[in-house]
Amino acid sequence: MTENMEGLELKDRLNLIENMIAEGRRGTESWGWAFVFWGVAYYIAIAWSSGGFGGPTWSRNYLAWPVTMIGGVVLSWILAARKSRKQPATTIGRSIGSVWAGMGISTFPIMFALGFSGRMDTHTAVAIIGAMLGAANMTSSIILKWKMQFACGVVWLTTGAASCFLSENQAGILFLVAIFFCQIVFGIYGMIADSRKQKVNGTGQGVSHA
Amino acid sequence: MPELPELNPVIHGKLRLALLSLLTGVEEAEFTWLRLKTGSTDGNLGAQLLKLEEAGYVAVEKKFVQRKPQTLYRMTEAGRQALTDYVQALKQLLGAAIDA
Repeated sequence: MTENMEGLELKDRLNLIENMIAEGRRGTESWGWAFVFWGVAYYIAIAWSSGGFGGPTWSRNYLAWPVTMIGGVVLSWILAARKSRKQPATTIGRSIGSVWAGMGISTFPIMFALGFSGRMDTHTAVAIIGAMLGAANMTSSIILKWKMQFACGVVWLTTGAASCFLSENQAGILFLVAIFFCQIVFGIYGMIADSRKQKVNGTGQGVSHA
Repeated sequence: MPELPELNPVIHGKLRLALLSLLTGVEEAEFTWLRLKTGSTDGNLGAQLLKLEEAGYVAVEKKFVQRKPQTLYRMTEAGRQALTDYVQALKQLLGAAIDA
């Protein structure tokens, strides 16, 4: 009986170690908001550049992408910094952060160069954005072992490749659909999954004594 | 019959074990985050972290961020090794308990 109880106590310790290690790693995986945020930013830029908004400021279509994207970077930087202050840094978090920062740093100069040289068209934009987002999503999904994100990566890569063969209108529509599913829907799904995880895990887990 | 290993008493405390396990998954953690994850009180958490610090298993860094004090805890190499040895010993003991 005593041996049995000791065995249970030891197992309890092992479970505690496993749970706490998982809990520590889980801390930085709540980035669903960033997907939704960037999805909305893309929609704003698209609507603005296509003359979807009225008024004198919004009529300057050439400003749509640079202003929205720079604004998006600044805002998401502020939000991420506020959020990371409450979360500890992890190697996984830093790896994923590097993937997305690398994606952003690589994409911006190319897109600006295409825009300022007047060589930007829907096919090129969708192909580049699709390829970059596809690569970032797939790399991040491999680190996190997250199949749903891998599927988003595949959708982005397919969108980028398909845009080369479609008409301008079709490529634009495909881009809007990819944003909806891979940014908005996936982001909301991520946020719901995070809040569920937090509810299930709760806090404390009965370890408050020495 | 092989001799059974002894469990490290510094790590064996439930809260100290939880703290070391939490710190293995992160580079560094704030006091408030550790309190949130363990559900412990400030006093108890501070006392257990001090024991881990005295044993050389965690390193502490105190600084000010936007004029607010911030205490950061990081697991040391000795802490990592001690936890690995503890898990090994635990597994050996569990094996012995199952065999008995």
